[in-house]
Amino acid sequence: MPPKAAKGEYIETDTGNKISRRSQIHGTQHIILGGKSIIQSDAVLRGDLFRTTTSNPSDLKPPSTSSTTTTTTETPPPDPKNTISISIGRYSYISRSAILHPPSRLHRGVHSYFPLKIGDHVYIGERSVIEAASVGNHVHVGTDAVVGNMAILKDFAYVLDGAVVPGGMVVPSWCVVGGAPARIVGEIGEGYGVEGAEGGMARERYRGVGGGGGRG
Amino acid sequence: MSRPFPYTYISCPCANTPVPDPSRKRRSRESPQKGSPEKPRPQPQIDDDEDEQTFDPRSPRSNFSLYPPEQLLYCEDCHQIKCPRCITEEIVCAYCPNCLFETPNSLVRSEGNRCARNCFNCPACTAPLSVTLLENAGGESGPWVLSCGYCMWTTLDVGIKFDKPTNIRAQLTKMTTDASPPPGPRTRQMSKTFSDLRSPLSMFSSIDDQFPPKDGAEQPTNTSAPRTRDARFAALKTFYKDQIATTTETGVDPGDFGTQFSSPNTLSRIMSIYTQSRRPLLGNTGKKTQTRPLVMREALTGPEGLSIPKPDSESTIIERMASDDCGWDGLASLEQRSFQSPDVRFVQDLLPLPSLLRSKRSKRCKSCKHILVKPEYKPQSTRFRIRLIALSYIPLTTLRPLVPPPTSTSTSTSTSTPQSQPTNLDALPPQKPIQLLLTLKNHMFDPVRITLATPSVTPGHVASKVTILCPQFDIGANSDVWDEALQSATAPDRLSRASPYEKVAEAGKVWDRGRNWTTVVLEVVPGALPGGAKLPKILRGDDSDDDSDDSDGSDDSNNKEAKGQVDWSGQGKDPGRRVQPDEDVLEIPVFVRMDWDSDNQIDQEGMGGKGIGGGESGAVKRELAYWMVLGVGRIST
Repeated sequence: MPPKAAKGEYIETDTGNKISRRSQIHGTQHIILGGKSIIQSDAVLRGDLFRTTTSNPSDLKPPSTSSTTTTTTETPPPDPKNTISISIGRYSYISRSAILHPPSRLHRGVHSYFPLKIGDHVYIGERSVIEAASVGNHVHVGTDAVVGNMAILKDFAYVLDGAVVPGGMVVPSWCVVGGAPARIVGEIGEGYGVEGAEGGMARERYRGVGGGGGRG
Repeated sequence: MSRPFPYTYISCPCANTPVPDPSRKRRSRESPQKGSPEKPRPQPQIDDDEDEQTFDPRSPRSNFSLYPPEQLLYCEDCHQIKCPRCITEEIVCAYCPNCLFETPNSLVRSEGNRCARNCFNCPACTAPLSVTLLENAGGESGPWVLSCGYCMWTTLDVGIKFDKPTNIRAQLTKMTTDASPPPGPRTRQMSKTFSDLRSPLSMFSSIDDQFPPKDGAEQPTNTSAPRTRDARFAALKTFYKDQIATTTETGVDPGDFGTQFSSPNTLSRIMSIYTQSRRPLLGNTGKKTQTRPLVMREALTGPEGLSIPKPDSESTIIERMASDDCGWDGLASLEQRSFQSPDVRFVQDLLPLPSLLRSKRSKRCKSCKHILVKPEYKPQSTRFRIRLIALSYIPLTTLRPLVPPPTSTSTSTSTSTPQSQPTNLDALPPQKPIQLLLTLKNHMFDPVRITLATPSVTPGHVASKVTILCPQFDIGANSDVWDEALQSATAPDRLSRASPYEKVAEAGKVWDRGRNWTTVVLEVVPGALPGGAKLPKILRGDDSDDDSDDSDGSDDSNNKEAKGQVDWSGQGKDPGRRVQPDEDVLEIPVFVRMDWDSDNQIDQEGMGGKGIGGGESGAVKRELAYWMVLGVGRIST
């Protein structure tokens, strides 16, 4: 239990990310936050599951709960580009208890992880599990949704609450998917994503988090 | 998609105009206001006359006119909001949602709207299939299968393997159309054994097997037709094309067929281009018809595509359904069968489905044919060449509860947590006034005057009282952002915004305003639910103050009330107690009338002499009016 200090719920980084002290972030040096993104409490970011260029199984064992112990991996990261496991853009919002898990693939008998890229203005709902290869900009993932391994959510994709996007699925832009397994059930209107309207609330959300906050 | 509270829906006025309305374009130009508080909109005659002026968000008719604001477009020529019902769509391009490759329109027309590449959906669960190497074969050259990552279905379940990992669609089409009739029990358990799996290439060695015996009496022993359905369709198509060609090119009955098959020479030439591959197979039948009576005949033999089901085919299917090795799981569900050929009955007959294409569409105004939305041509692009969305014209409406000012007792805690008592919109206490902040944000480059109007009591059984404290106000123009930044140093209202908790809502005054937005206060007293409010009285004793017709109510409805339940079914006998589903949702109809001075030059010719500002000065007075519905919250019982 972290001490309930008067410091406040969120750590604010130089670029304006607001990260809950109660979030569980593993492998911080493999995670890139674009700035002004929010990670809520109990969200899990598995930054420790990064790609190993050589077939090194060391990444299979996540370090225990502490978030800064991954510096002691056996192989020093040769190329910082290759060891990014999660990158999140600006004004994205990771809700409570969401899990971001980099996708993996068995390639030539070697199980290796691939980076999970999340774009700008993305909303990830509560208790959702994201194992996608890429999540575009302005994507909305509802609560209790599951986005399977190596799925691709293009810009302005909309995943309804409780949807299970199967692994490898591509959700095209402007499409609404729902159900288990998810299928395309509709399209969102052209006005989606206009600032302040439906889909354009990312800055509003950012301002509302953590009290005060910087100017959007 | 239901939305969380608070939400805004906007009613497109097209719901009240009959669909074929040729005069609509002209009328809209003459008077841009489709309805104003003074002049009520044309109401449908079938409506009852109890309330002509206000919009009832609960009437069944309004279901069809309420749209979330981001779905609405705006026609600059008609000066009207356009909902999906008042537009026409044209396909810009078709693309596969899975591989995002564009399919040309000509190919869509000829090949059907399915992906011609490697994209397939699982026939069992509709998840996308992936091409995977068969593991136990080893090596990189082994056979490939399509497998579903969601339900673990593979094409091995139906006995299909592929030789190449590319161009799967063509390989599958070859198998389904040109395949020799599968042996009878293929679709039983034997299909899973590897010995029964046929290579797609091997089936061409036995091309003679495709021709069943000429006389239709002895069909093959399996229950299905001599060929697959696709093959039969292809054969029939070829046969009738040949029939048309042979009967028309010899000139017999040109009067009959000449008009029926327009320009036969051209048609036959085109057909010969496309059907060259199949002609050698059926050449003999084509020659046969060139005998004396050159009249079109029907398909008579198996190779021509005729299939006569065996008399006991139905009972065979029934027997197989009843057998133990089929069971419930072996039967294809209705949903699965709806995407397959009609004679598929069993899970083991399911074929992978090529992905349905999607389309990007441009949208036009139905009445004036102007383009409202034109997306970029490329399937991957999310940009638009033209995008006239309503949100850039009508004010963007946001609603949020006004946090009550902290009382003097809780000043110490309220400094750290100002939202000490946040209003739970999902459970609004009835009969307790709440204040809401209604913010309208202008996206136009002209300042706008707004007049809001709302019925003082919301329609429906749950009557909530609504008061807009400042129904008339201005919104500034959507000017340069720097204007606000420069003004903010001096403007006093910025200071007032810094401490909103000390403000008290006053009638006739706007709550707050900014560069291009204005906030007013809405006071709402949520009404009591019929069952909930009367509940204490009922529990106390008799329902004496209820309506007299309550006595004829059935017993179980009274029992329900005694248990403190609201009759949600909407079927109760007592109209006072009847609550329709979602009747506890507090929805406020608000009439918005906006007028502004537009200096758009193009508008003048359209407006004619209607512009108040006069011809050459360029300022034209514009008006737009619509109903919107604010979904505030749900009233708790």
